[in-house]
Amino acid sequence: MRGLRLDTLGRGIAIILLLLLPQFLPLIYIHLATEILIYALFAVSFNLLFGYGGLLPFGHVALFGVGAYVAALIFKHFPGMYLPLTLLLTALSGVPIAAIIGFFCLRLKGAYFALISLAFQMFLYAIAMKWRSLAYGDDGMTVNRPDLYLPVLGNLSMRSIENVYYLTLVIVAIGILACYLFLKTPLGNSFVCMRERDIRASYLGYDVFLTRFTVFSASGILAALAGGLFVFFEEFVATSCIDLNMGISVVFMTVIGGPGHYLGPVLGAAFYIFFQDWISSLTKHWWVFMGIVFVGVVLYFEGGLVSLFTNGKVRLWASRLKGG
Amino acid sequence: MDYSFGIYVIQAAQGLVYGMLLFLVASGLTLVLGMMGVLNVAHAVFYMLGAYFAYSLTLHLGSFWLSLLISPVIVGAVGVLIERFLIRKTYTGGHHQQLLLTFGLFFILGELVRVIWGTAPLEVPTPELFTGSIPLMGMIYPTYRLFILGFSFLVLLGMALVLSRTRIGIIIRAAVTDAGMVEALGVNTPVFFMGVFGGGAFLAALAGVIAAPFLSVYSGMGLDALLDCFVVIVVGGFGSLLGAFIASLMMGQLHSFGILWVPKLAIVFQFLLMAVVLILRPTGLFGEKE
Repeated sequence: MRGLRLDTLGRGIAIILLLLLPQFLPLIYIHLATEILIYALFAVSFNLLFGYGGLLPFGHVALFGVGAYVAALIFKHFPGMYLPLTLLLTALSGVPIAAIIGFFCLRLKGAYFALISLAFQMFLYAIAMKWRSLAYGDDGMTVNRPDLYLPVLGNLSMRSIENVYYLTLVIVAIGILACYLFLKTPLGNSFVCMRERDIRASYLGYDVFLTRFTVFSASGILAALAGGLFVFFEEFVATSCIDLNMGISVVFMTVIGGPGHYLGPVLGAAFYIFFQDWISSLTKHWWVFMGIVFVGVVLYFEGGLVSLFTNGKVRLWASRLKGG
Repeated sequence: MDYSFGIYVIQAAQGLVYGMLLFLVASGLTLVLGMMGVLNVAHAVFYMLGAYFAYSLTLHLGSFWLSLLISPVIVGAVGVLIERFLIRKTYTGGHHQQLLLTFGLFFILGELVRVIWGTAPLEVPTPELFTGSIPLMGMIYPTYRLFILGFSFLVLLGMALVLSRTRIGIIIRAAVTDAGMVEALGVNTPVFFMGVFGGGAFLAALAGVIAAPFLSVYSGMGLDALLDCFVVIVVGGFGSLLGAFIASLMMGQLHSFGILWVPKLAIVFQFLLMAVVLILRPTGLFGEKE
């Protein structure tokens, strides 16, 4: 992955900008920025599997949705629970679900993997829809953001959108960093190696299923955490957290941003949210335009937005040989 | 007792009807998958387009039969254009590019349908010839469903004859086994791919048209058909027409008895079937290659 870095100066400026953002942005844009960060975390989880692992789980939003519902149920039924603990439980809730889904899906490869994963998502969606006493179906449920008490800083009110932004920023940064560091570990390396040629990896003695199963389960942490943050931010959960549109959005973001680079999903999420914000003010059918942009990127711009900054040194996912 | 037995027969017939329709949609998907290795996510949209065109054509021409003739031809042409100008660009790319492209197309076309026809369910009137009902096992059974059965059976027969008795059929079957070798033997495979893709779209649209008076025409029908077709392909085995046929009939029965027994969670049965097949035989019932 050498040569894939934005230069250090650029990164420094980006971090300072992100930290100062609420000081000069109007409220509505802090809102958008928080939303972008949450989607970015979700897309990072997707990118871990797609960009680095060569797995394409169309139904990845299942894990996002599980996180969203777990967080909502905790906020609703245990309103006094310490916020970091809630978020931790939410993040962990993604693991067993991802393990079950992964256990079935990873038996298949390529296109079949993608669509089985989609089938699991539709299954969970049906449950969220039909189990009204728990999840309230389409109507959804509203929850309240609890405040956050920190030892030195004292009580941080989460009524303030700036505090929500900072909390999200910290969590998302930790998530992206964890993902980045994970890929440097031997497990991460062997996972990437299986993207290139899984059969060869298995001849070399790696257990392809077990490796992918482990990473797939772990990816549930980030996806569920993103779901939990989403509910925390929106103070609302409904089947829209686990439906197909949410599922597509993460695919669109990651591919448009540039899969296989740790910043691709962040750029993709930013583009997606801004583009949506702009074009949905012009037309009700913004989906068509988003889809056309997506198809255009898939066919003609496979490096994604991030390749504009990396001098074309991004690994191109589409132009490799068939199979594997 | 007699009465409840009648219910079972009716449900089984219902499942058969649904299974046959499903097979018409899934067969094109299976052929394209077998020949080109492209799992076309957008395939179910052809089914939906067929139904929506049937609605508009029936409305303007006043004849269901004309729309049964015209609608699949239009959709088949759409399929040919999509293959020629979009999917063909991805043959040199990986599976992921094809998947993402067809996935994107699925949503663009689905959204376009919503733009043009709106989101409210539409009704296509049953053709007059088949508005009646016949008594069956002490219950009443609409003749239109018998027409669906007969018609889809004829299409199935026609397809089997084309595949097994004609030169085109031989080339298609050979291309499923080894497309590269067929090309080396001097067959213009790009044209064949285009034709099969269009043919698959045609069949899916045909299913959409005859399903339109039976199920209503709604904007979610593409997604429903996509998921069902996909379970059919996984259960039947990748690229196997026989497998797809048997799996379609199984899905039809599960669908219809699932709704009878557990109305709210009928999807669970299809899902269990898929999970069991995946555990016991990951390549599907009749699949050999992955």
